[in-house]
Amino acid sequence: CRSKESIRCYSVFPKHYTKPIFRKEEQDELVTNEKFQAATYLSFKPACIDETSSEFYDPLVSKFINYLIKQGKKSSARYLLERAFLSIKMIQLQAYNSCDSNDKEKIELDPKVILRNAVENAKPVMELTQIKRAGQVYKVPIPIDSRRSRLLAIRWLIQAAKEKTRTDFLYDRLAHELIQAHNNQGRTIKKKQELYKQCQANKSYAHFRW
Amino acid sequence: MVVLVFSQLIAFKHVKPGGCTYNLLMRINNNLNNGCLYSTEVSKKIDANDLDANENTKMSKAMKAYLERAKAYDDFIKTEENNYNLGKLHLSNMMGVKSTNFTQIDVDKAIRYLFPSGLYDKKARPIMKHPKDIFPVKKAAQFDSTGRPYHSMFYTTKPHYYKALYDVVECMHLLDATEDKLIKNDNHILVPIDLSNSQWVNQENLEGLLVEKISTEQEYFISSIEKLCQHPLANDVKDFIMIYRKLKQSVMQNSTIPELMYDSNNRPYILVTDCMRKNARGEVLVIGQGSGKITVNGLPMVNYFKNLQEREQIIFPLHFTDMMDRVDVEARITGGGPSGQSGAIRWGIAWALRSFVDLNMIQKMKVAGLITRDWRIRERKKPGQEGARRKFTWKKR
Repeated sequence: CRSKESIRCYSVFPKHYTKPIFRKEEQDELVTNEKFQAATYLSFKPACIDETSSEFYDPLVSKFINYLIKQGKKSSARYLLERAFLSIKMIQLQAYNSCDSNDKEKIELDPKVILRNAVENAKPVMELTQIKRAGQVYKVPIPIDSRRSRLLAIRWLIQAAKEKTRTDFLYDRLAHELIQAHNNQGRTIKKKQELYKQCQANKSYAHFRW
Repeated sequence: MVVLVFSQLIAFKHVKPGGCTYNLLMRINNNLNNGCLYSTEVSKKIDANDLDANENTKMSKAMKAYLERAKAYDDFIKTEENNYNLGKLHLSNMMGVKSTNFTQIDVDKAIRYLFPSGLYDKKARPIMKHPKDIFPVKKAAQFDSTGRPYHSMFYTTKPHYYKALYDVVECMHLLDATEDKLIKNDNHILVPIDLSNSQWVNQENLEGLLVEKISTEQEYFISSIEKLCQHPLANDVKDFIMIYRKLKQSVMQNSTIPELMYDSNNRPYILVTDCMRKNARGEVLVIGQGSGKITVNGLPMVNYFKNLQEREQIIFPLHFTDMMDRVDVEARITGGGPSGQSGAIRWGIAWALRSFVDLNMIQKMKVAGLITRDWRIRERKKPGQEGARRKFTWKKR
């Protein structure tokens, strides 16, 4: 970008630039809402490198990939999650084929639905923060917003997968962890419940929040 | 300017002659007519001749000081102007052009030719301009020969700014009164104010409107006038509000869409050069009546890009406009990595597709963030730091 004085500036998009709406369904909604006319006068930022109008695009999946990244290697993070999805599919299909016909409806076969449920189940509602009062540090339970709880849920899922025995690949461990969280079991859910217990124990400090 | 607004306010829909709002407006209008009490225009300059004529009458010290200052400024500008004209004459002689035809553009050309400068910053290069363009214009006196200010808010030091604020409140009271009356008469039909096609003027323009220097006051003014906009009857004072708003340009207005060209096989095509993202540079050729073949540097797209993400990016504009199997794409690209290259091609395809689709679809593409160019670049490493922003770990000793 070149500004008026022909000096390079780095944060290139002005404040009034808004986030693009790149899904077709969302745009159709916009047209029916009659906000489309107002949009003709807005400026939009370019869509990000992982955003497409494709039906395979899922914001939660791309978020999960971003949390998996190490050293900026997005392609290998994406590969990891896709392999994990493959493993989930294999495990669930095996379970599906081996169980009775009555239980078959209960088994979820879509890996994306399993991921969504796993993250939803792992989301905490409260968190402990350290607050210093009268020279002493207290652990105070506070409510958290949806963004923070999603961050914690995804982070715990990945941590739990990494903590498991190192004999098999990370994507296999991640697949196991996701299925367990989908069924409300496993380390991640345990971690969440432990946090709740601590919050319960420290609830007498709740008034330190103000 | 403010005079105009209030005369429009007289034509206010709900105001009837004899009512209290009408009286208020008439009062403002009378004030305006009597001795331009609220005018934003710079007051007339008082000449030195007037001074001689009024020598018998009492003259304030401020006026005397002002006249001295004005005279010194005028003399200075006059000598500078003479120097400029002389310099122009010399330049026209040197360049061999008739001095009568020698314009400012010729002066700039001559200076560039005679004093070539390699300095990067344009401000640092030699210039020759009319003194009026270089020296700031001085404000004319805001008070008469007895020292009495023209403007009732002169002693606020920013009379026009405070007057504008005052007008906002005045409008607010007026709207409140009419709203009360409407509720009483039970014909409460509201037309919501539509300000989507305009935005607030920036500080520079506001300073121009008010003929005053303002800094943090701009935020306060905008937040005050925004309160006025939230009033249910705000549509009635739209003319007043629109003084401080600038019309926005829609995307269709500020870019021209090229016409389709036809090759020897009579197939329509568009060539987009200068496709860039990060360090990748290249050009994209989109050919109509195609079957969805995409080649990058002569290779099929699937062979050129190994990862799914890059392939998705290239297909994005084609999928979005449903042109996937109707056009062929040929891209030549150099430099950068796969994600930069795919981003550059994505923009090139979207830019070319504007000629193939209708206006409504172009608008949709804009909302989807396909038309905007992604001109972010890698931020440089700074000396004394580990990277662009990251600092070295700091040790006390």
